[in-house]
Amino acid sequence: MSLTPSQWAALLPLLLPAFGACLVVLMSLDKDQGTTKWIRGAMYGTALLAVAGSFWFLTSLWKTGSQPAFFQLHMDRLAQFTGIFVAVAAALTILQSWDHFHQEGWVKGETLSLLLFSVTGMMLFASTTHFVALFLGLELFSIPLYALVGTVRARSESAEGGMKYFMTGAVASSCFLMGGVLIYGLSGTFDLAAAAGALKAQGALLDPLVMAGAALMLLGFLFKVSAVPFHQWTPDAYEASPHPIAGFMSVATKGVAFIALLRVFPGSFAPMGPVTAKVQTVLAALAVATLVLGNLTALVQSNVKRMLAYSSISHAGYLMLGFVAGTPAAYTGVLFYLVIYLAMNMGAFGLLTAFGLVGEKTTFDDLRGLGWKRPAMGFSAAVFMLSLAGIPPLGGFYGKYMIFRELVGAGHVGLAILGVLASLVSAYYYLRFLVALFLQAPSAEAERLASDRPAVHAPLAGAAVLVSAAIVLAGGLIQYALADGFAKRAIVEGLGLIR
Amino acid sequence: MTWLNLHPLTFLVFAPTVLGFLLMALPHALGKLARLLGFLGALAIFVLSLAWLLGHNPAAGGTVLAERTPWFTLVGLPVDYALAVDGLNLWLVLLTTFLVPLTMLGTWNSLKDRMGTFAALFLLLETGMLGALVAQDLFVFYLFWEAMLIPMYFMIGVWGGDERRYAANKFFLYTLSGSLLWLVALLYLANKAGGFNPALMAQAASALPFGVQGWLFIAFAVAFAIKVPLFPLHTWLPDAHVQAPTAGSVILAGVLLKLGGYGFIRFAIPMFPQAAMHYAKPIALLSVIAIVYGALVAMVQRDIKKLVAYSSVSHMGFVMLGLASMTVIGTQGAMLQMLNHGVSTGALFLLVGMLYDRAHTRMISDFGGVAVKMPIFTTFFMIVTLSSIGLPLTNGFVGEFWILNGTFLSGFTWGRLYAVLATSGVLLGAVYMLWMFMRVFWGPENKDEDSGTHHLHSDLNAREIAVMLPIVVLIVWMGVHPRTFVGASEAPVAALLQEIKAPAPRPFILAPAVREAAAPGESAGAHASEAPVSEAPAAHEVHR
Repeated sequence: MSLTPSQWAALLPLLLPAFGACLVVLMSLDKDQGTTKWIRGAMYGTALLAVAGSFWFLTSLWKTGSQPAFFQLHMDRLAQFTGIFVAVAAALTILQSWDHFHQEGWVKGETLSLLLFSVTGMMLFASTTHFVALFLGLELFSIPLYALVGTVRARSESAEGGMKYFMTGAVASSCFLMGGVLIYGLSGTFDLAAAAGALKAQGALLDPLVMAGAALMLLGFLFKVSAVPFHQWTPDAYEASPHPIAGFMSVATKGVAFIALLRVFPGSFAPMGPVTAKVQTVLAALAVATLVLGNLTALVQSNVKRMLAYSSISHAGYLMLGFVAGTPAAYTGVLFYLVIYLAMNMGAFGLLTAFGLVGEKTTFDDLRGLGWKRPAMGFSAAVFMLSLAGIPPLGGFYGKYMIFRELVGAGHVGLAILGVLASLVSAYYYLRFLVALFLQAPSAEAERLASDRPAVHAPLAGAAVLVSAAIVLAGGLIQYALADGFAKRAIVEGLGLIR
Repeated sequence: MTWLNLHPLTFLVFAPTVLGFLLMALPHALGKLARLLGFLGALAIFVLSLAWLLGHNPAAGGTVLAERTPWFTLVGLPVDYALAVDGLNLWLVLLTTFLVPLTMLGTWNSLKDRMGTFAALFLLLETGMLGALVAQDLFVFYLFWEAMLIPMYFMIGVWGGDERRYAANKFFLYTLSGSLLWLVALLYLANKAGGFNPALMAQAASALPFGVQGWLFIAFAVAFAIKVPLFPLHTWLPDAHVQAPTAGSVILAGVLLKLGGYGFIRFAIPMFPQAAMHYAKPIALLSVIAIVYGALVAMVQRDIKKLVAYSSVSHMGFVMLGLASMTVIGTQGAMLQMLNHGVSTGALFLLVGMLYDRAHTRMISDFGGVAVKMPIFTTFFMIVTLSSIGLPLTNGFVGEFWILNGTFLSGFTWGRLYAVLATSGVLLGAVYMLWMFMRVFWGPENKDEDSGTHHLHSDLNAREIAVMLPIVVLIVWMGVHPRTFVGASEAPVAALLQEIKAPAPRPFILAPAVREAAAPGESAGAHASEAPVSEAPAAHEVHR
């Protein structure tokens, strides 16, 4: 069987990271990888090249406007958007990993290779509506992440977090599988769009089994976006992970899960009107729970990574509100929000590496006074935190603006009020980050420790942070380019194609 | 030059930001240079604003300068980048550009470290204030309104007093709470109107049931009232004022509070005239409470700065009372009182700062006999005190008189009683200010080793005198010939109130700049308000 150029074009963005992952595994067979600097450099270079190649290829596809397909793998605008999104997240993660793992004194090629496999899985997950391919994508990106969370074997918490994530994740994946099987059993096809059409033709939309199937699939997505009540793994997993991996999970997992949700529920299941209406009701209720619980719990955290974990839960709530609004503009807002969220959160986790906080030393107290010592990082931190809180004129504000605007336009004023109140609460804990960085002097003990240690040297993580800050600022200043030129086209041309 | 000719307001608004970011990029060691550059930049902005804004004929009350261009839609409602200076905001803009360099000069040596960053934040704040003042599109207004919080937060939080973190957080979250709820109201109305143009939004609002209008007005009013601050939403103010560094307090009192009153006259009242009439009485009552309560609390303060902070609550109560009176003279009084308060209270904070820099205390009981040691300082303080308590021939008198006059004529059931009660606020103002003055400046010199007076070694220097002189000139000028400063707003205010009280067929009432700019879009707006609610007009056409 020989593939046409168009089929190759659809596959290449996935093949590049997969191929890179294999190369990195081969390189990491070298026993001296921990000590030989050039091998480490080669591994990181290969990984970065693989991601960059994929990114470059996807952007050129985007520019030409072609939307190739490989059987059920549709490399359409939405998939290209996802690919670019994941590639940027992965590139920032790789840059941060170099510094973080060197700070921890534990550099291994396996982490990179797992990361690249996960990237491949994510691209697959968000570019198909064939259930088997969808499930393959889900597992392909999840399993490497389970391993990555527990990657620092020396720390027992790391293993514990990884195990927790794996166990709960496995249950969620099985639920997702069960849901798909129910839909398949009733419709006779694995293609979700065709299945929806068939179910509608049978008049079986409100069949309890169909509802159960849809609900189980929804559960799988909600687990990945860490919506309440499927969120418990999030803080433990983030705390256990190396900082860059936590950043990658918070951004990429949530992002692709939301995009896949978009592709399946408003997308493929569009013919199943009553079902999607019920799904919206469920999403509204869970969004409320997510916003309330995520924000209130984040308030009382003393560890920055746990705070960011609960913050990431609460951001899932805002994004779910976009689905409740359910207009194309709201979905555009969701994609816009995800892009800004990528930069804000990768940046926030990158700061931990750039400031040289290792191991367990990631409390607010460990941040004290660092903003003045490293002004560029401090400035970026202000950008990330204020943007996360949704303060204009930063990118995060426009994401919330688009979602709330559509929400109010769709008549959900009460939900919008709850959403803005949640933002108000969130402003408090994001300000705590800035209070520590700028408004508090470091404790005497911290000063003494700092003088004992060599100065933090994290140029790559610093560069990643600056790139993220630039994206957040751009999201605030040229928001229309990002929204109209990028997010909207992914929704209109990408989702429209599948539909 | 052509770009400047086309975008003078953009230049005025954003030049401080550009300069601010440059200053931030300067190395730490060059803090003094940054301070100098910041001051010169702010001074240049002031000179330019005078030249550009007064060069036209402001007496006509029309638009002085305006810019309008479509900005973005973000797959939905169109937002226009619309700025204008007209009779309503002309003098507030000039007050802002005036106070910024003046404050920088007045607090030249107050800060010991990170002077460059402070100057940079100050300039960013200037952008926020100017932008909010000249914005003619509610989305743009909202952007600037919120963006102002960021520099002010850091100014209080980094350079403030002992409780600075608490004060900064309270300031930030308190203000944010009002504006976030306001944002929902804004989005609701914008969805109905199909955009953020105030004229279209006003038109859409007039088509809504009165109950909904009332809620929307309340959402607007609460956001603005927090900024004013109107009793009982004032509790952030004493903390923020007392903890803020002198420069922060001056700008907070001088300009930020004004934005609340300005929000009422520019947006809340014209957009919801019926609701504004309906709620005028409760607002007037709260204003009277603020006047009396603020004055009573100021009386018992032991910290001079806190006293001035509570006097702000009282004085801003007058502003709100004047606006609530819904009479031309009362509203004009409020416009003037906003400028008065900016000048007088700004000057008081500067003076308290000068005293504190020397004595390192602000407690009234630590002083006594300051007049002997600092005669020039005492003279200036006396003049500003008299202006603050509204002595005739100073600015305070005219504003308060007009407001009381307006309240008397307002026709409220209890209007005359309100006027009487508010007048007692004037008396109380004299009590707390003069009593404080007496204890601090007169009497025998406090010889105690630990006292503040003991640490006063020098009277005002040339720089500080140069700061105070223009203020004294303004105080007298505004008292003797207030028309210079409120002549421009008379026509728009009169037009606004006439249309509220005797509605013309045109269903919305806005200041000329907004109305002119909105004219081409009127037909589209009319269409929008007729469309059923569920089909948010024009917004989602792209996707159909």
